[in-house]
Amino acid sequence: MYNDKESQKIVDIIQNFARKHSLFVLAYGTGCGAIEIPPTMTSRYDAERFGIRGAATPRQADVLLITGYLATKTLKRVIRVYEQMQDPKYVMGFGSCAINGGMYWDSYNTINMLDKYIPVDVYINGCMPRPEAVIAGFVKLQKLIQEGKADGWDRYKKNLDEYRANQKKIITNWVMPDFNR
Amino acid sequence: MEGIGYKILGALLTTLLAFTVGMFYAGFRRKIIARIQNRVGPPVYQNFLDVLKLLSKKTSVNHGIMQHLAPLWLITMSVSTLMFIPVLKDGLFFTNLNFSGDLIFLLYIMVFGPLGMALGAGQTGNPNSAIGVSRGLTQMVGFEIPWIMAIVALMIQYKTTSVTGLLDIQSQNGTWMMFSSPLAFIAALLAMPGMFRYAPFDIVGAPAELASGPISEFGGKYLSTMMTSGSIFAFVKLTLYVDLFMGGASNLIELVIKTFALYMYPVLWGAVSPRFRTEQAVRYFWGWPLFFGFAALIYAAF
Amino acid sequence: MSENILHNEQKLLNLLEKKFLLKESRIIRAKRVEVKVEPKEVIPVLLYAKENSGYIHFAHMSCVDWIEDGEFEVVYILWHPEEKINLFVKTRVPRDNGSLPNIDFIWRQANTYEREIREMFGLRFEGLEGRKEFILEDWNNIPPMRRDFDTEAYVKEVFFHRLGREDAKDVREKIQERTDEELPDFAKKYSRD
Ligand code: SF4
Repeated sequence: MYNDKESQKIVDIIQNFARKHSLFVLAYGTGCGAIEIPPTMTSRYDAERFGIRGAATPRQADVLLITGYLATKTLKRVIRVYEQMQDPKYVMGFGSCAINGGMYWDSYNTINMLDKYIPVDVYINGCMPRPEAVIAGFVKLQKLIQEGKADGWDRYKKNLDEYRANQKKIITNWVMPDFNR
Repeated sequence: MEGIGYKILGALLTTLLAFTVGMFYAGFRRKIIARIQNRVGPPVYQNFLDVLKLLSKKTSVNHGIMQHLAPLWLITMSVSTLMFIPVLKDGLFFTNLNFSGDLIFLLYIMVFGPLGMALGAGQTGNPNSAIGVSRGLTQMVGFEIPWIMAIVALMIQYKTTSVTGLLDIQSQNGTWMMFSSPLAFIAALLAMPGMFRYAPFDIVGAPAELASGPISEFGGKYLSTMMTSGSIFAFVKLTLYVDLFMGGASNLIELVIKTFALYMYPVLWGAVSPRFRTEQAVRYFWGWPLFFGFAALIYAAF
Repeated sequence: MSENILHNEQKLLNLLEKKFLLKESRIIRAKRVEVKVEPKEVIPVLLYAKENSGYIHFAHMSCVDWIEDGEFEVVYILWHPEEKINLFVKTRVPRDNGSLPNIDFIWRQANTYEREIREMFGLRFEGLEGRKEFILEDWNNIPPMRRDFDTEAYVKEVFFHRLGREDAKDVREKIQERTDEELPDFAKKYSRD
């Protein structure tokens, strides 16, 4: 009686509601876009209205923002941070650099497609997206969470081998702790 | 038999009340700070959502036994302190264990939680945690001294160490201890922001420099337990202050009004303050608060 | 420009010309002096500029790959805080097996630039200390700033490319044409000449 589909549905609705309205964003920025986060959080655009607040460490965070171009050296750190975060976790890619390389597409040290290395739930386009666009991205993410479609963390676990192969193609000297699924 | 039933129900009710009130106060704090910064701010029930979400997160971190126990230790401390504090002056449900413990016991049990937290944080092996713990203990040495002096002054002046005894004396005299022993009140009040760890005394979990300090390795359910414990403990501290200095409360509405008024003091101070460094905080506590503590002791003794 | 305005610059040039064997020397324009020296003259010239002429500030150091000549050109940029003059000391070394003296005993901060140039161009500095790996991590190709390193081929091979970018055109020829064009009027006032 307690474990049937119907009651699970109710639990899911409550869970997703809580998850949607309480997004802890890891304070970590990679590219130009890190500078768009302070205005998004402070008085002018006030993202705390949506329950979005900063978290200092990966253990406490739900959302990882990849704010712009991602150097191969940073990718190593990003993967580690991502694997340290606790499920469920979401990733947002900012700007054209994260989507297809942007103006750094032919640089020897920035990756071009973020979603080949870690699963991305929402992309925001622009170079750089303004705070309004960032907030729109967050609202989109909330919608996905409500519908249960923001399942990047699940995909990462299921397709771990594929992601690992892609990551190892770039990080040739792989010295990282094991991913604890 | 009936008595025990009432007692258990009362204990549950008290905990629930402390949790709810503490959570709403934290929500109000976020809202008030947002309004001061000219923002809209999150809804007042935001902290409930946070706790719910943190509870629904998976946790796959293991650093050792003490790391798993630390949040439990904290919440044990909060609830047991709550049990020994008279929430209302009289009443069926909120009596709990008021008559068993006295102020000295309370002082002891209130540092029990941070100690467990320090052990747990130490085991995670995160350097930020270690720095945070050492800062926290330093700060505790800072604010505990004026605070204990104020309480000892009360004990000497009224020749009792029991909280209920002090409450009775206040209702017999018809005046609050805030007015009958003002020096002790000032010392305790000046030490209060340190106890709450809001700005400018948030040096323990400074997010920008320490990555939230001792709790930096705790996420998910651990963090939600800590938030719960924190909100219960905030209520405990406020109630203790109200009991000692503001004549207690005879019904819940009075209690909420008094504690909220008291709560506004660290919140509003924190909303407009930057952060102290550790030695600045200690220097502050060993300045005027200590002076008033001494003055209260001398006033009580003679 | 009259002689009078360039007085300080000329004085510096005369001093350097008298003391050292310069390959080439000129005043680029006001506040900019350029000298070209042999690699073995680098340390004497820099020391002289620092100790005797007041060029105490080491502003920058960079490297240019002249692949057509088979040479690297290393540029040291010094700054005189009182006379407000930039001194460019340039030197050329062969691309393969060339080496330069290490100057980080004159200015400590030169160490950073030298390590970067060593890593990005593969140019050797005699007696330069510090870890080999500086900015790049796990790099096992030829140094990426050398012009014989084919960035595009490398990128094509290593990274994924999202569909929809295949029509990205090579605009280098267009840019080349544009540089020979007459400047439009509005741009002229920002131009240096
Ligand atoms: S998309 Fe534009 S703003 Fe964003 S990282 Fe790339 S270049 Fe910078």
